[in-house]
Amino acid sequence: MQTTHMATPVLEVAHLEKVYGALGNVTRALNDVSFTVNRGEFVGIMGASGSGKSTLLNCVSTIDSATSGTIRINGQDVTRMKQAKLSQFRREELGFIFQDSNLLDTLTARENIALPLTIARTNSAEISTRVQDVAARLSISQVLDKYPYQMSGGQQQRVAAARALVTDPTMIMADEPTGALDSKSARLLLESLEALNRRLRATVLMVTHDSFAASYTSRVLFIRDGKIFTELRRGDTDRREFFDRIMEVVAMMGGEGSDAL
Amino acid sequence: MLCKLAWGNVRRAGRDYLVYLLTLTLGVTVFYAFNTISMQVDIAGIDEEGLAQVMGSMLGDLTYFLAGVMAFLMVYANNFIMKRRKKEFGLYQVLGMGRGRVATIMALETVIVSVVAFVAGIVLGVGLSQLMTFFTASLFKTQIANFHFFFSMHAFNLTLACMLVMFVLTLLLNLRAVRRTKLIELMGAERRNESIKTRNPWIAIAIFAVGAVLVGVAYYRLLRDGFPLTATDSKLQEAMNQFGITTAMVTVGTFALFWGLSGMLIKLLQSLRGVYWRGLNMFTVRQLAAKVNTVCFSMGVIAMLLFLAITSVTCGMSIANVMNENLERYNPVDVSQTYVYYTPETLDYYKEYVNPSEADRMVLADATVDLYAAWHGERKSADNNDETGKKVNIADVAGEHVQIDSYLSYTLGGSDPSVTAGEMCKAMGEKLPKALEASNADDMGLFVTPASQYNKLRQMMGEEPVSIGRDQYLLTCDMGGELGDLYTKYMAGGHTLSLGGHELKPATDRSDEDTAAIANSAMGSNPGTVVVADELLSQLNLQPYSSSLLVNYKQGMDTTEADESIKYTLLDDLLVDGKKPGSWGTFITRSEMYTQAAQMNGLISYLAIYIGFVLVVACAAILSIQQLSNVADGSRSYRVLAQIGCDDRQIRHSVMAQQAVFFLFPLAVGLAHSFVALKVIIELVSIFGNMSIGGTVGLTCAIFLAAYGGYFLVTYLMSAGMVQAAIATRYSE
Repeated sequence: MQTTHMATPVLEVAHLEKVYGALGNVTRALNDVSFTVNRGEFVGIMGASGSGKSTLLNCVSTIDSATSGTIRINGQDVTRMKQAKLSQFRREELGFIFQDSNLLDTLTARENIALPLTIARTNSAEISTRVQDVAARLSISQVLDKYPYQMSGGQQQRVAAARALVTDPTMIMADEPTGALDSKSARLLLESLEALNRRLRATVLMVTHDSFAASYTSRVLFIRDGKIFTELRRGDTDRREFFDRIMEVVAMMGGEGSDAL
Repeated sequence: MLCKLAWGNVRRAGRDYLVYLLTLTLGVTVFYAFNTISMQVDIAGIDEEGLAQVMGSMLGDLTYFLAGVMAFLMVYANNFIMKRRKKEFGLYQVLGMGRGRVATIMALETVIVSVVAFVAGIVLGVGLSQLMTFFTASLFKTQIANFHFFFSMHAFNLTLACMLVMFVLTLLLNLRAVRRTKLIELMGAERRNESIKTRNPWIAIAIFAVGAVLVGVAYYRLLRDGFPLTATDSKLQEAMNQFGITTAMVTVGTFALFWGLSGMLIKLLQSLRGVYWRGLNMFTVRQLAAKVNTVCFSMGVIAMLLFLAITSVTCGMSIANVMNENLERYNPVDVSQTYVYYTPETLDYYKEYVNPSEADRMVLADATVDLYAAWHGERKSADNNDETGKKVNIADVAGEHVQIDSYLSYTLGGSDPSVTAGEMCKAMGEKLPKALEASNADDMGLFVTPASQYNKLRQMMGEEPVSIGRDQYLLTCDMGGELGDLYTKYMAGGHTLSLGGHELKPATDRSDEDTAAIANSAMGSNPGTVVVADELLSQLNLQPYSSSLLVNYKQGMDTTEADESIKYTLLDDLLVDGKKPGSWGTFITRSEMYTQAAQMNGLISYLAIYIGFVLVVACAAILSIQQLSNVADGSRSYRVLAQIGCDDRQIRHSVMAQQAVFFLFPLAVGLAHSFVALKVIIELVSIFGNMSIGGTVGLTCAIFLAAYGGYFLVTYLMSAGMVQAAIATRYSE
């Protein structure tokens, strides 16, 4: 079943470069990065701080612009899109989960989740059912009428996940989603993401430097100094085993044991 | 080292400090310029001593008021900047800097900004005061003879003192803030998901409703009771208390309205599901609600200040307009001199309090006297000292002239007037005009005047005489407005008047108010007179009240010269059989009235405009600071919105909607208050003529609204820029 989906690429990144700074003081954050993510995949991107992984995610998620190369999502090249089109694209194709949940303080959980739908002018009856559906899936129905400051960090992060999912995006972008969570909340969130990926075929692209988080994915891209260093597929191995293999690569990449776990 | 750090901070935090700097500069400019008014008056060539005195005392009080407004504004701006800088001060402490040195840096920053603001403010203030001199001159209708650059040391010192006080005040507040705040709070000043002050929406709605009811009841009370000014002495205390209650109600009500506003908004919009769950409406409302909760007090203050500003400007200028419009009617002749007789009611008062030394020479007046013959005296003093002691006689200057005798409507020695406005209203089943209702103005009743004198004045003014038969009467009044209407209605209704046993019918159905004056005056001299046939009057044997001699100068005579030649005359005592039946009253030249009115008009307009402008600008500045700080606080939210696919246009609309509510709601409340207050004021003033709110008032209000709207626009544009910058920032660096 998975194989039929593997065939359709959702994201194709080719020869992506990103250069910061001007003459004489140039930082090459991304250097000729190419990879493909297929529909229904759960892909992790790992790397140390400064390796370029966040830059990569920013470029892919259209928040930052690439210096050269192409990024195609669902066949559309986002590097050539106009600003107005980009907003619409982000709204319709992408869902975001950030390290800090980035919920709006003044809105309740229900309103936060509904926001992408109201922006897209979905009718209110449909908004209501879809919010309740996604909340049930992420087990946050009981906090829907609370404000962010009244929720735990894990709940906030799952509300943020619900907000990312509610529009049925082509791809979910998660930037260190467990970074600010305790281990129990982190596990709950990762299990939710895994379940979404398994049961609903949601495509997830997750940036992390946490090997444990990465072990929930089906494939991990390792990035170092702006280049893809290697990639690791989970295949049919169980999560424990996959975690050990990830740790081996991290150790091999060297000097980052303390940083990457 | 610390200086360098502080200077660097000020430069780096430029945008934050800009708001503070602008506010301070504005404050200094306005304060300095305001305190140069007396100098401007000098240069504008207004050399009336009385005026300067009136202005001086009024300005003294207003300076305190202005200082209060400025202090509020500056403390507000200071809090804004402190909130922004908390994290940095926390960082210094984390790096190991002692609190004392952090405090020093902060004090230095405040000093730098204050000094810059002071210098800039004074420079702008000096410039503004030169410009204002021309404005002053035009308001007082004078020419600037020799304009020269001026600098007021007095205003400078006052401004400096005021600034120093405020500087110390803000410094103490800031030091307290640094000392009191825990390091963790300083560092976390920007922390995520800050707790929002939420209010139970039902309680908020209840409070909003209470506010609305309080304001409504206060409106009703004000419309019913009017201002306590009209009350008689005995009722004044009571009226003042009632008015105090009304004021308290409207104040509390206003604050309650703003306190409950957010809950009201949320519940209202949530009930409209289609609207609430659409676009950014939900976000806009929630943002508003969160912010309104924290600033509801200052919004209330702003609404009240706007109310004060609108009311004072509109009212002041309208009264000045009315006075100016009717000036011609109030002053029919070049000069008038009044003589007031002693009546049974006033004689004792004069004997005991006014002139006890002459008590034995005073007698009750039983007949009128010939003022033209009696108007002579000695020149008291003048610019030209040579003329002191010179004999002056009205005959030297008088051309056409007429004496108008006013009698009371009771016979000699009596006391109850038979013709009063109150009785007339009763006869017609009307309500007594507001201004007469609570006062004792009607106790004296209407005056009675012979037709021949009335007609002679009409002739002098080029009008046809009115024929009044033995059994007829005519009611005259030069005040217009409600009183005039009352008399016209009475005559038009064919109502009869009973005078000394004679039933009189109206001679015509209306009278000409332009020929109704009985002397020159500032605001009308004839509150109501019954004109009757001479032969009837002589039979009635009425109590004389006053006589006025109305004189036009000889043909070809220069008015200014004529004025000068009879001014400052100490009139000889008017004796009948060696006794005084009354005393000389006011001597009023027409040109004097015109000058006074122009100055009064100028003064009122000036102060009204100035106060109004300061208040409006202060309000707008506070709102502007609030909104900019809101946007800065909310920049993360806008970034999130952009990330989840909200386009810029939608975000800008949301910002616009939020700021529109903040700017327009207090304005709407202020306008509503003003509308009611002005309605009452107009009713009160309408006794002097119809107060029209238009022309200059309209223009002034338009300027104010432009200033207010300008602030709104600039705030919005700056906010839109800040939002754009926030969106453009990469979210994880």
